[in-house]
Amino acid sequence: MGMPKLVTVQPAHDKLRALGILALNGMFDEMDAVGVLRYATSDVLPGDLAIVSSFGADSAVLLHLVAQVDPSMPVYFLETGKHFAETLAYVETLKKHLGLINIHAIHPDQADVQRFDPAGTLWETDPDSCCHIRKTEPLEPITEQYGGWVTGRKRFQTVERGVLPHFELTSDDRIKVNPLAYFSDADVNKYKIEHGLPEHPLFAKGYKSIGCAPCTSVVAEGEDPRAGRWRGLNKKECGIHFDFNGAIAKPVTAAAKHTLWKDGAFIADPFHDWSETSDPATASYTHVPLSVFLANREAFLANPHPLGLLVSPGERIEDVEADLGRFASVAIKFPAFSDGRGYSSARLLTQRYHYANEIRAIGDVLQDQIPLMRRCGINAFVVTHEPTREALIEDRLPEVALFYQPVGATEVPVGTRPFLRRAS
Amino acid sequence: MYRYDEFDAAFVSGRTAQFTDQINRRISGELSEDQFRPLRLMNGLYLQLHAYMLRIAVPYGTLSSRQMRKLAHIARTYDRGYGHFTTRQNIQFNWPKLKDVPAILRELGSVEMHSIQTSGNCIRNTTTDQFAGAAADEIIDPRPVAEIIRQWSSLHPEFSYLPRKFKIAMSGSPNDRAAIRFHDIGLQAATNAAGDIGWEVWVGGGLGRTPMIGKMINSFVPNEHLLAYLESIMRVYNRYGRRDNKFKARIKILVHEEGLETIKGQVEAEFAEVRGGVLTLPAEEVDRITTYFAPPQFKAQPATRIDVAYESIIDPAYGRWLDNNINSHREPGYASVTISLKPVGGAPGDATDTQMDVVADLAERYSFDELRVTHEQNLVLPHVAVADLRAVYDALVGSGLAEGNTGLITDMICCPGLDFCALANARSIPIAQEISRTFAEPKRQAEIGDLKIKISGCINACGHHHVGHIGILGVEKKGGELYQITLGGDATEQASVGKIIGPGFEAENVPGAIETLVDTYIAKRESADETFIQAYRRLGEAPFKEALYGNA
Ligand code: SF4
Ligand code: SF4
Repeated sequence: MGMPKLVTVQPAHDKLRALGILALNGMFDEMDAVGVLRYATSDVLPGDLAIVSSFGADSAVLLHLVAQVDPSMPVYFLETGKHFAETLAYVETLKKHLGLINIHAIHPDQADVQRFDPAGTLWETDPDSCCHIRKTEPLEPITEQYGGWVTGRKRFQTVERGVLPHFELTSDDRIKVNPLAYFSDADVNKYKIEHGLPEHPLFAKGYKSIGCAPCTSVVAEGEDPRAGRWRGLNKKECGIHFDFNGAIAKPVTAAAKHTLWKDGAFIADPFHDWSETSDPATASYTHVPLSVFLANREAFLANPHPLGLLVSPGERIEDVEADLGRFASVAIKFPAFSDGRGYSSARLLTQRYHYANEIRAIGDVLQDQIPLMRRCGINAFVVTHEPTREALIEDRLPEVALFYQPVGATEVPVGTRPFLRRAS
Repeated sequence: MYRYDEFDAAFVSGRTAQFTDQINRRISGELSEDQFRPLRLMNGLYLQLHAYMLRIAVPYGTLSSRQMRKLAHIARTYDRGYGHFTTRQNIQFNWPKLKDVPAILRELGSVEMHSIQTSGNCIRNTTTDQFAGAAADEIIDPRPVAEIIRQWSSLHPEFSYLPRKFKIAMSGSPNDRAAIRFHDIGLQAATNAAGDIGWEVWVGGGLGRTPMIGKMINSFVPNEHLLAYLESIMRVYNRYGRRDNKFKARIKILVHEEGLETIKGQVEAEFAEVRGGVLTLPAEEVDRITTYFAPPQFKAQPATRIDVAYESIIDPAYGRWLDNNINSHREPGYASVTISLKPVGGAPGDATDTQMDVVADLAERYSFDELRVTHEQNLVLPHVAVADLRAVYDALVGSGLAEGNTGLITDMICCPGLDFCALANARSIPIAQEISRTFAEPKRQAEIGDLKIKISGCINACGHHHVGHIGILGVEKKGGELYQITLGGDATEQASVGKIIGPGFEAENVPGAIETLVDTYIAKRESADETFIQAYRRLGEAPFKEALYGNA
């Protein structure tokens, strides 16, 4: 395997930063796939977006979308050398049918193959390494050329992808655009039929998720479509998709009407409050009260949409410990600034349960308490109090930026004093 | 004494700047009084009957001469020439102007003082034995740990908006002079079987409208885990303490309602999670803080004893002072001197700017520059050579500070009451003054011996009346003031809460009622060695009740 790359090129996508990934997702929640893709190519990353396609059973849908929006978008195909002959034929079929003019096959480094997989059986003993030399390594120099990637991932495909949003920021600061995030199995089939798309030759034979020949088997009726990949091995992803929990882009401008303060600006808030009419099965971008969540836990866990959690004073964060990973945001309610219970909830979330997504303070959120909230791990604030808004914008919170006691996992104390004082 | 380093100094000036900004926002009207109240309270600023009151922290009751002089200067410049030492070992100024407060805080900062967390629903100043580091009966000097607690609790982000105020008291010796069983948390120094030093932890004590004796929640917490254990208690309290009723919001009510075992279970569960984490105190660091509190350079003294009987014949007033106001020191040839702030007819705990300056001079000259404030509202020169006692006494006489009444009937604890306090039902200082006049005669006081009278102007019990051997509580009755009398309270390791023995008295009848109680005690005691509280415990309330109310 080649050396890890030391130099990364910083992509420029200020537009997205300005909007904030979370806000962007809120805007495009439930929007149709073409809309998402069109916005991505025309506004977010013009000329800086590409796609990697497996030319598998479902690939036609996404490629059809790409062809509509921009037939010259670069389409990369990982020619691992392990594909079904049917797949290679299908690449040509689709290319012609859709009019794609910019398809590139990427081959593994032959030296790596010689060295690590001379007999071509690495997939059997060490599929992770096989994928590494045949997919990850060859793709790496390509990914660095683009600010963003279009993927065909869908939430329904595997359990881990249950909360997939339209836009993600990857850990290396790139954008993933997932136009099909909300597509179900039925939506895919309907789309193929409606648009008369050619089927992968193996689809009719029972293959639902098609990758390299040795690693793909037939999926049984009712089984997770991707269950046929790497069957029997505890391997679900190729390493070429990035985590959902990527960082959130930093917006640089503040829109006055927005009340959510995060990462140095007031930004659009994709989340809604839970209401009488909200439905556990279909709620989306909603802060679910902790008690409501517990009472309808199964329904919420089956709900594929991004959700938040609302913790009110007196509610115990311990009760949802196991499900915290389900939430993209936790809202901690301060009914009065003098009610300090939320500080303990925040510290437990960050310090004990290592919850790393958004934690926002809502309710009576005032400038004199925000520094304390921050130290307890709260990283977003819903603020309506005008002087507090001004203090935030002008960056003049009344804060003593020196502290004696360590409180969170994020604070690395300076020096070795017993009470671990720190200059911030 | 603890000395600020750059960090401490920057912290205090940062806090002063922050509070100055808050005051300015209040003055400009940006902050409403509702929003300002908790902010000013957290910095010790109260709105009283006539004016703002500023309470300044005296951490664990220790002051240097330089600090005392600064307090004198503040009294002179920004107040009416005096300050009031409180039962929390702090000092209050009753007449500062809001606009002067930032200047006062800057002055305080220049001598390593502040008013952080002297009020508000946060962790307050940790109090301790006024003889810490000097007392002959001490297991360890609690001040290094008290300083560590001070730092840990300063502007603690999780515990700044507790259900109610929170007070920690520590005693380094088995004879509890810090009333630890009447604090939210009491820490009693202890040694385990291995000889390690740690803390016996008491929780849920308090006075106020529902007096409770603390309960032991852990018989030994090793020193290194003390902060983790305290944090565990604080978190349980912050999360589960009642917030629906401010009169039921102290931790004592939580412990009482949930039961000690439940709370203990929650605290232990929390402790299991945080123990061994960032709050673990490394021994070297405890040692480092401890060096700040190293004993002064005592010298071998020519005189190690003083013949009190002889001195009493030559000068009865001096003899009396020696008898009552001297505490034995662990260093031969030295003694701790209590300076009484309870002159006959005076307001308990008050000191003028000149008196403060005199005391500062005495500390500098005779007590290694050190002073203490006691929770009984007196001052202490902790390390005075026996040979210097006469000189100290003479200087005190000249300033009206030589009252030899420590521990006697006229050494009362008394809250500010209706003269200053917005919450008061009744006056309390005038009652104390009247009682001290009644018993002014030194012979009479000596005959009565140890007797603690404590007076509060309302149910909030700032004058600790529940733990007075005789307690006096002002209540409102049909628009007038009435005083209830309780008997049998005790703040020491033999903690007990006084009992109301009958209907209250009009103000003018209170001194007479106290005389009746005292006469009854003297008539019934087994010998002059049996103190009032001992006699009360033996006799019960009946003879006292009968004497006060007749045999109806
Ligand atoms: S899918 Fe299978 S054959 Fe293809 S690269 Fe991965 S392990 Fe190798
Ligand atoms: S006991 Fe009552 S009157 Fe006295 S100081 Fe406290 S609140 Fe005021």
